Amino acid sequence: MKRTAALLLALATAPAAAGCSAALGAPESVTGADTLVIGVKPDQPGLGLRTGEGRFEGFDVDVALYVAEHLGVAEEDVEFKAVTSAQREDVLESGDVDLVFATYSITEERKSVVGFGGPYYVAHQDILVRADEEDVEGVRDLEGRTLCQGEGSNSADRVIEEKGIDARLHEEPAYGDCIAPLLDGEVDAVTTDDLILAGYLAQEPEGLRLVNAPFTDEQYGVGIALEDVAGCEEVNRALTLMYQDGTAEELLDRWFGETGLDLVTSVPQFVGCG
Amino acid sequence: MRLPGLRRLRPATTPGRLRRSAAASLAAVGLLFAAAAVGTAHAREGFAVIGHGAGAKVAASGDLYYALSDMDAQTANMLLVWQRSEEDADRAQRAYDARRDDAGRAVVQAAQLAEGDRAEERNVREVVRGLVAYQRLVTEARVLAEQDDDPDPPEEAVELYREATDLMRLELLPKAYNLTLDSGATVRATYEDKRASVLLWAGLTGGAGLLAVAALLWTHHEAAARFRRILNPAVAAAVVGALVLTAAAAGMLVLQAERMRQAKEEGLDPLLALSRVRAVCTGMNGDQSRFLLDREGADTYEQVYLQNARSLLYVEGDDLGDYYDGVDRAVGEYPKGDGMLGILGREAGELAEQGRSGEVDEVLRAYRAFTRADWELRRTAAEEGPGDAVEVRVGEVQSAYEEFDAAVVELKDTHGRNYEEAVRAGDRGLTGWDRGLPAAALALAVLVVVGIYPRLAEYR
Repeated sequence: MKRTAALLLALATAPAAAGCSAALGAPESVTGADTLVIGVKPDQPGLGLRTGEGRFEGFDVDVALYVAEHLGVAEEDVEFKAVTSAQREDVLESGDVDLVFATYSITEERKSVVGFGGPYYVAHQDILVRADEEDVEGVRDLEGRTLCQGEGSNSADRVIEEKGIDARLHEEPAYGDCIAPLLDGEVDAVTTDDLILAGYLAQEPEGLRLVNAPFTDEQYGVGIALEDVAGCEEVNRALTLMYQDGTAEELLDRWFGETGLDLVTSVPQFVGCG
Repeated sequence: MRLPGLRRLRPATTPGRLRRSAAASLAAVGLLFAAAAVGTAHAREGFAVIGHGAGAKVAASGDLYYALSDMDAQTANMLLVWQRSEEDADRAQRAYDARRDDAGRAVVQAAQLAEGDRAEERNVREVVRGLVAYQRLVTEARVLAEQDDDPDPPEEAVELYREATDLMRLELLPKAYNLTLDSGATVRATYEDKRASVLLWAGLTGGAGLLAVAALLWTHHEAAARFRRILNPAVAAAVVGALVLTAAAAGMLVLQAERMRQAKEEGLDPLLALSRVRAVCTGMNGDQSRFLLDREGADTYEQVYLQNARSLLYVEGDDLGDYYDGVDRAVGEYPKGDGMLGILGREAGELAEQGRSGEVDEVLRAYRAFTRADWELRRTAAEEGPGDAVEVRVGEVQSAYEEFDAAVVELKDTHGRNYEEAVRAGDRGLTGWDRGLPAAALALAVLVVVGIYPRLAEYR
């Protein structure tokens, strides 16, 4: 009888044990995390900018904190890490960071290596010129002018090659380095994502003008490990709420409200997880 | 040496041993019943969500997206051909009206299905509100276009349309799309959870069943051999009954898990992917009209077209020219060649892996024809002007689009049928178990009692 009882007991507890091993075998998800490491840009004013050791500010940073809170992780348990554009896939694949909010455009190639929640905003390629430049109203007006591009970017190539517009190319190490030559008249225009340009504009509101002639869609996604489908879906729920409760509008207004940029305050179309 | 514990395990008297074996049998049968009942409950909950609740939402919100997206495409067409050809204008008008009615129906259905989920309810409400505003803008644009005899619609009408299409593409469509994704997420989470549970409990049912058979055999030994009989018919019947019940219950649960997999992976997943393909392509068809209608935004619409095309079937390359070549090559090489990306590309890749590339051949060929027609459209617009391009738009491009859409719908319907069949089979597979399972367990218990009662009576 005792032996039978022991067998019956083993049988009764088997589901619990099996449940346990299933949980151990499953890939880690940000949905159950107590702390989060989030990758942001250190050098994009308005989006992700380092303000001190381990401290960052900007739209990306605030959106990241909102999502973290929805995932049940308080601000003090979020560690921000600076990532460059080239590092974004690597740090997600290695697990060094859990989420990336770093002007990370969703593309089909990237989607085969990492997962994407969102987009949380759809930025557009636009043009930044000197405030006294009145003849540039759209991308076609860049004909014959000099464009500045940050190294490793393809924004200006897009204008020159894809659109077949005959403009000259001037390269600087980063987009931030294009602003001084633009103000000096060494180059005529800088073209990249409008949110990035808006950040520079906010620093030099007197000397610069944003043309407001968007000609591409850049979906800013939340980078996440490819296997963490449940986490990606939860990020999307957080972003839906962020737009529904008015936080998105407030954040866009706080970071870009003064720049005159046309802001979309309605939830973007998500690309879907998994 | 004898352990004291062992003595208690082996009672000295024959009726004592018989009672203990019978009690163990009854307990094991109880466990078999419990395991099978829990497994059945998980299967039922799984099918309730995948087959009915969230699964139905995926389909309904997919329809909503398509209706909205096509409505906007038809508005652009209508304005484009309004003063050029009465016949084309009528056709566009009829298509617009039909889509508007579809959208109305789909939005009502989506509202019913969203009930109880606050974020989703709010999403649907905002779609309804936006739809009213959209229709008002379209009506105004149409009135303006009617008052003008020029083949090109007046600038004010185009401006109103720009406002309307921005509302549609930036606010309404994303919300409809996110509804589909959110329901899809619910299906995925339920599927993974429930399928694992059903399989786990199928295993436990098998284990409990074997335990019951062993206990019953022990009871049979105590009730027959100890009384110098070969057979105790009632207990023997219980042994056979327990074997049959175990095999049937565990088998049913494994089968339900498989049907759940079929409903999701061979039904709902491709169904969802193909409704997205259809919706994206309607959008592309709209971008072609917008490209001709709104010359100021033409660059943007061309870029958006390329972006949508890439999300549908991704091939490497810088611009539209590269894209046409890439699609031509990729479709020509399929099912060989590198894995294709994009919603349609991944779907085709998966079918190729399963050796079912034939199913998607037609869709891919129709897509290639559609991109070729698009090339012709843009060439005509550049070389002969937008007026001639409108002819290409309503002629060649339209028929290529319709053929592609029909091919997608056909494939989508195939998967829709797979899905419905799997769900129906799942529902059918569960009927009867509600009553059958407790009745069978009870019958086994009765057989045990009937089998041992006369033997115990001999000792009174």
